[in-house]
Amino acid sequence: MRICGLLLLLFSAGALAVAPGERAPPLGDDAVSLAGLHGRVVYIDFWASWCAPCQQAMPHLQRLYDDWQDRGLTVIGVNVDTQPARARAMAQRLAISFPIVFDPHGVWPERFDLPTMPTGYLVDRQGIVRLVQKGYTDQDFRTLASSIDTLLKEPSP
Amino acid sequence: MKQIPSSVMCVLGLLLIATTSACSLQTVKPWQRGDLASQEMDWETDPLLAVYRRHVEFSKEAASGGPVLAGGGCGCN
Repeated sequence: MRICGLLLLLFSAGALAVAPGERAPPLGDDAVSLAGLHGRVVYIDFWASWCAPCQQAMPHLQRLYDDWQDRGLTVIGVNVDTQPARARAMAQRLAISFPIVFDPHGVWPERFDLPTMPTGYLVDRQGIVRLVQKGYTDQDFRTLASSIDTLLKEPSP
Repeated sequence: MKQIPSSVMCVLGLLLIATTSACSLQTVKPWQRGDLASQEMDWETDPLLAVYRRHVEFSKEAASGGPVLAGGGCGCN
């Protein structure tokens, strides 16, 4: 599992625009910056260890990350557990290798006003939010994969 | 009819404000449900004991389905 600090995206789902971000509470050594993700398709998944649908989604996201990171997909997990140790245990159990950051104080969910858990934001190569995935079931995988595939086919800016 | 003195009304008003201002209408946000989802918050923390209790309840009440189904064991529903 890769744990990192993240320059999170600050965006409004209504405006569908990505603005320069602020730094999420960093926990690890590495940092993923918004600048470093420019031109990539980014899926930001807010999850927690106590959230059953999150557990369903994580292996699917890992699969997409494994298959398509070479095509330009980045998956970032933003964990909102108040006890990061539980999140670490779950990520290890599910063999998650995509970057994960911790936000135990819920700063970013508060700012994004998450409608439910999990919620995922699919950001295209231009930095525009193209899909907001509210909740997750196994049936959502095909739709999500199709949306990501479509965005990956779009040319880089 | 005797009129209530304004000083009493004032005190009552202040009392009302003091007691209701402590009330909160804030809801638990989706990402704050971790504590609520913890095992300690379950009505029945022991699943096996819960099944046993339900069994005793069904037997004593002669009911089918216990608290989750409508109707009892009388066959009248």
